[in-house]
Amino acid sequence: MKNSDQLRIPHSIRSFLRSVVGAIGGLLAGLLICRFAGESPGKVLTVLLNSSFGSGYDFGMTLFYMAYFILAGLAVAIPFKAGLFNIGGEGQLTIGALAAAWAGVAGAGIQSPVLAVLFATAASFLAGGIWGAIPGYLKARRGSHEVITTIMMNFIAAGVTSYFTLYVLKDPDSSQAETIPLSMVFQLKPFAVFNGAPMGGLILALMAMTLVLHLVLRNSVWGYRLKATGENETAGSTFGISAPGAWLSSMFVAGGIAGLTGLVEVLGNSHRFKIGFSADYGFVGIAVALVARGNILGILPSAFLFGVLQKGAGSLDLETDKVTRDLTYIIQGLIILGVASDGLWELPARLWRRRNA
Amino acid sequence: MNAIEFRKVTKRFGGFTANRDLSFSVKKGSIHGLIGENGAGKSTAMKVLFGIHPADSGEILIEDRPVRISNPVHAMKTGIGMVHQHFMLAGPETVLDNIILGHEPGRVFIGRSQAEAELRSIARTYGLDFERWDRPVSELSVGEQQRVEILKLLYQRSKVLILDEPTAVLTPQEVKDLFGNLVRLKEEGKTIILISHKLKEVLGYCDEITVIRRGETVGTRKAAETDEAELARMMVGRDVSFTYQGERKVFAVAEGMRPLVRVDKLSIESTTEPLREVSFELRPGEILGIAGVQGNGQSTLLRALSHPAHHRARWSGSYQFNGKDHSESDPIRLRNAGLGLVPEDRLSEGLLLNQDMTENFLLGQHEDPRYSKNGFLLRAKARAVTESKIKEFDIRPPYTTVWAGRMSGGNQQKLVIARALDPGPSVLYIAHPTRGVDVGAIEKIHDAMVQERNRGRAILLFSSELDELIDLCDRMLVFYNGGVRAEFARSEFDPWTIGRVMGGGDR
Repeated sequence: MKNSDQLRIPHSIRSFLRSVVGAIGGLLAGLLICRFAGESPGKVLTVLLNSSFGSGYDFGMTLFYMAYFILAGLAVAIPFKAGLFNIGGEGQLTIGALAAAWAGVAGAGIQSPVLAVLFATAASFLAGGIWGAIPGYLKARRGSHEVITTIMMNFIAAGVTSYFTLYVLKDPDSSQAETIPLSMVFQLKPFAVFNGAPMGGLILALMAMTLVLHLVLRNSVWGYRLKATGENETAGSTFGISAPGAWLSSMFVAGGIAGLTGLVEVLGNSHRFKIGFSADYGFVGIAVALVARGNILGILPSAFLFGVLQKGAGSLDLETDKVTRDLTYIIQGLIILGVASDGLWELPARLWRRRNA
Repeated sequence: MNAIEFRKVTKRFGGFTANRDLSFSVKKGSIHGLIGENGAGKSTAMKVLFGIHPADSGEILIEDRPVRISNPVHAMKTGIGMVHQHFMLAGPETVLDNIILGHEPGRVFIGRSQAEAELRSIARTYGLDFERWDRPVSELSVGEQQRVEILKLLYQRSKVLILDEPTAVLTPQEVKDLFGNLVRLKEEGKTIILISHKLKEVLGYCDEITVIRRGETVGTRKAAETDEAELARMMVGRDVSFTYQGERKVFAVAEGMRPLVRVDKLSIESTTEPLREVSFELRPGEILGIAGVQGNGQSTLLRALSHPAHHRARWSGSYQFNGKDHSESDPIRLRNAGLGLVPEDRLSEGLLLNQDMTENFLLGQHEDPRYSKNGFLLRAKARAVTESKIKEFDIRPPYTTVWAGRMSGGNQQKLVIARALDPGPSVLYIAHPTRGVDVGAIEKIHDAMVQERNRGRAILLFSSELDELIDLCDRMLVFYNGGVRAEFARSEFDPWTIGRVMGGGDR
């Protein structure tokens, strides 16, 4: 059978193009709503773009938010390959950030900046990874549904981080709920061109990591195991692919990557762990992965888009009369809707067929 | 009067013509067989009728009036109902709720008692009664689930019932019951269209049979005036033999020849289908058949032998493969030891439906040194080999980029078999190799199996088709109640005796 539309354009590219058009459509719909709210769409767009790209600082902040969303998005997209829905990114990233702060205290004697960063990276990855692996283990061993367990792990993470922040690693010189600050060797230097925005070479490293992950998941035997498990667990098992193995390993890696938020937030930004630093980044990660359609490389543009919106949200609130922060969430929602409404793409073809029937 | 008539119906998908000027008519109150090879266009024709794909040209008449059916809901309103090959039932819900789904009586609350009363009378009329209407569908046997699907159509007052490959999943007893029911439905005035591969069945129960080949009508015959050979010729376009015609090499099976597989007193605990002290040997150059009515331990045996690690907790007995103990191995180790596997159900156990042929070809071979190195897949190599297998087995459509889920059953099965044969295995476990596969492909598959046997490989063949086992096997073990009831040598093959043993009798 020659199914022409199936064969011509590779599925992944077609899917990506559809996402882009969907995102633009969602944005236009959002601007239309701004129009009804009494604000000129042109102005809203100008403020949005200006706020994200207007200066070195602005762009640096956009990339800073993007960094969170890359990690949170990957934490959802990777287990998704193995058929798991990881809602626990939020817990995994707070635990990872706490571990980075702990590394600063435990490794106070480290003199080399390279060693210090490596140590903190390892601590963040392992802590987040273990946090993610627990629901993975429960699923593998007991069949507990990962959506339930990862949500519960979020609450436990909140409790655990509070306890450590308030009683174990508390900064005695601060009246805030925050940990002992990191020494200089642990701090990541931002790029000067970003004019004070807390983002440097890390964003490049994260992009490179995403690319590597994409290649690994696509070409490695491990990636194949995840895919086969996500696609058809029974067939995988019949041919020697252990579903529990895929679940456990994907959740460990996902949690570990979420945990690397410790680098963005603790080593790069506030140099300590602060309770409540995350504006639900872990949950936004679900939307990031959705807009990327679970494609690992797609996480980059998707996270960038969310970075722009996150950065723009505050400015729209301040610089326009009618558009509030909430409206940017509406725009976010519309963009997700635009990308997710996949079925609409079949509509023109169907109408065309009907007319010609 | 004709219940349905197709007049020069054409349906294209892109450049591919699935139905070309298809014309045939189905008499009201008859059972009409619609047969053809996989991909011949039977299903497309029924989807056109059912309003899933509107026709590009031509017209369809229902009760001699031209109609234009635009969607399945419209089709159901016109009195056309379909039982799909893969049932569309909600497992955890009750029989009653499944039947009334979409047509619930009552305005605010569902009038279940009213529905049940109505259903009881329908069921009585057609002899399809259920003891209990409040059992979850998932607890029913496959045959009973099919009855639920049929009742659903009757509840919707369908006048024309389309059944797509209804017997592919049934046991022989269930098949008999089904046809009993269909004949009764016919007597009550319903029209039945039966899509099938099994020539014996359509010949036995249909009034007329229409053959489709490559999207076109080859012809319609009265069942009483045709035979298997003619239908097969019409389907395939050439003469087809029903028994294996190729050379069957004779091996001097020396006593004491080292068996490739030795199973000794293997028992597997299971609440549904246990295995009780099964012992046998599988020697090079033989096809050993595993016969039995479904559910007598054959499935458990196949699963246990292909994935012992998975059954570790419930395992007792010994299992030697190529002279080594494998009672705790996983499928990868067994494959490395020389096993090729064709699982029972290709859809749920054998394929990744949303992946292309290359990805499917890699399943189970993803750790083979030929297809992976240092933890990374050698996909280009796998694709090249897949392409050569497509040629060798004549798999269609012949592109590696096609998703397994978009291929017809016969081609899916060829892919699964090509994969099992790829490592050059010394032993093959093959289950239901021709289930849901058309006659042309059956020949090809049987031929490949006998070729492997002639090369000195050993095949353990699980099948519910006794004809297939008798045709191909050198020896046969008949399973009953989890154990081997009897062993037959090729010279002793006799369908009646074997059938009796399958039912628990003595030889």
